[in-house]
Amino acid sequence: MKLAKAYGYLRKDLEEIESSINQMIQADHPVLREASTELLKAGGKRIRPVFVLLSGQIGTYDLERLKIVAVTLELIHTATLVHDDVIDDAEIRRGMPTVRQLYGNRVAMYTGDYILARALEEITLLRDPKIHHLLSKTIVEVCKGEIEQIKDKFDWNQDLRTYLRRIKRKTALLIATSCKLGAIASGVNEKDAHRLYQYGYNIGMSYQIIDDILDFTSSEKELGKPAGNDLLQGNLTLPVFMAMKDESLRNKIKNLFHTDQTVSEAEVKVIVQDIKNTSAIEDSYAISERYLNKALQKLNEIPNSRSKNTLLEIGKYIGKRRS
Amino acid sequence: MDTSGMDIRYLKQHIEDKIQHSFLERYINKPVINEDKLRLLVEIIANTKLPDYKKERYIVTTMLVQIALDTHDYVPSNTDENENKEIKLNKQLHVLAGDYYSGLYYFLLSEIDDFDFIHQLATAIKEINEQKMKLYYNEVSSFEDYLQLFQRIDALLIIHVASYLHVTILGKVAEQWLFVTKLNVERQRLTETGYPLISINGFGNESATVVKISQLNTLLNKAINHLKEDLNKVNKDNTGLIQYIHHQLPINTSNVEEG
Repeated sequence: MKLAKAYGYLRKDLEEIESSINQMIQADHPVLREASTELLKAGGKRIRPVFVLLSGQIGTYDLERLKIVAVTLELIHTATLVHDDVIDDAEIRRGMPTVRQLYGNRVAMYTGDYILARALEEITLLRDPKIHHLLSKTIVEVCKGEIEQIKDKFDWNQDLRTYLRRIKRKTALLIATSCKLGAIASGVNEKDAHRLYQYGYNIGMSYQIIDDILDFTSSEKELGKPAGNDLLQGNLTLPVFMAMKDESLRNKIKNLFHTDQTVSEAEVKVIVQDIKNTSAIEDSYAISERYLNKALQKLNEIPNSRSKNTLLEIGKYIGKRRS
Repeated sequence: MDTSGMDIRYLKQHIEDKIQHSFLERYINKPVINEDKLRLLVEIIANTKLPDYKKERYIVTTMLVQIALDTHDYVPSNTDENENKEIKLNKQLHVLAGDYYSGLYYFLLSEIDDFDFIHQLATAIKEINEQKMKLYYNEVSSFEDYLQLFQRIDALLIIHVASYLHVTILGKVAEQWLFVTKLNVERQRLTETGYPLISINGFGNESATVVKISQLNTLLNKAINHLKEDLNKVNKDNTGLIQYIHHQLPINTSNVEEG
């Protein structure tokens, strides 16, 4: 089953959101306009708008209000990606050249700032303080998480909790926020809104863990980058933590990265295989599954509805993702 | 300068506390808090009828936005193929620090539920980035054009704040004053070293622009005259601003020597 099929009935509303996003970033300057729309043209799952709409359906569905939330979240996500590509010197994203690749770092910076400003202009159309308290806190936390990701690179003293806090800020918070903001915007009661937040948080954690596993188990063709790229970049992810329970492998990995020399792809390839030979991948999937189950459990606490079923299906789909 | 009880040193410290981040501080320079802009903001905001907590929050968040935008200007235009680890880390942290300061502005204004001011600052950021693109692509036809665009970008945030608080004239004064200050710095530098700070790589059809002292003096004179005209329109409530600017003018009341 394709994920999009699960929420196929939202197609019309998602198209409206897509068109709104596109309208929002029609800058006056032609290059800024082109750069801003570049990443959107490349597609993307639009998973945040989907969570906003589905959570919104739990309450009084008002597309105009939900559209503002969905557009804002997708723009914030897009702005982050444009800046992330400067951080990573990325040349390709979603199969297309990145903004920095096409126009240089500086234009990518201006583009990201412009898109974020458009997002904040949009969200202030809604006057509910709860929306702004949550969203602004999330943005700050996401930024802190990105700084921490840099700080934690090649830090062999970090523990599993550091990793979990990092992926919470990197991925889970924005998904949790998408769910809760959708709920707030459509007047869902506080308890259910919080349950939806917890659903989103746990789904986000599960999703990111699987993403981190796939970095080890997928082929270079599937990933668009060599397997083990996270490790090559110094990002310690769950499979590495699991594998490092084995003392000899722990030492081997640490020794490889101990010298300040650049570690080659070939060397990482060997480590990737070593990690795959342990139970690290399996153990990581088990932890992802735990988050997934928590997500589904939270969902069970809210009243039955069609959108609840869809959220369940999305959760299960994410949990089964193997490529 | 009459800051109506708002202490510049306290505000500066307050901003520094907000942007304090041990990891960032270890690897990138602490952001510079532009005191001229801070003083102008204080003067614009101090005489409004806003409650004190709001006055302070407006000043702090506007300065945070300025710091965020300035921080992103430290990101090199292009990545050098031979970029080493330190340079790369410096670039990465400037990207993230700017984003972080931007996030803080939204967070601090959300705390006081001031959605209109969040919107106003966002509109200013949007416009500043539009103008920065023009500057980046050198879409000017002369050196004077370039300076005007530079002046606009430098002052846009304060212009937006002044307009939001219905004291547009103070925004204009701030813009002129920042321009005078900038030209004066350029003039001093050119006199002392022979090199101007601002780029002179040619504008529009001009293949190369040689900046002469005489040119800067003419521009400075023009800017001072504009500033004086605008200062005459300023309300008596803002005498502090008038006095401060008169006191700080490069050559007090008589204009700079031309040629």
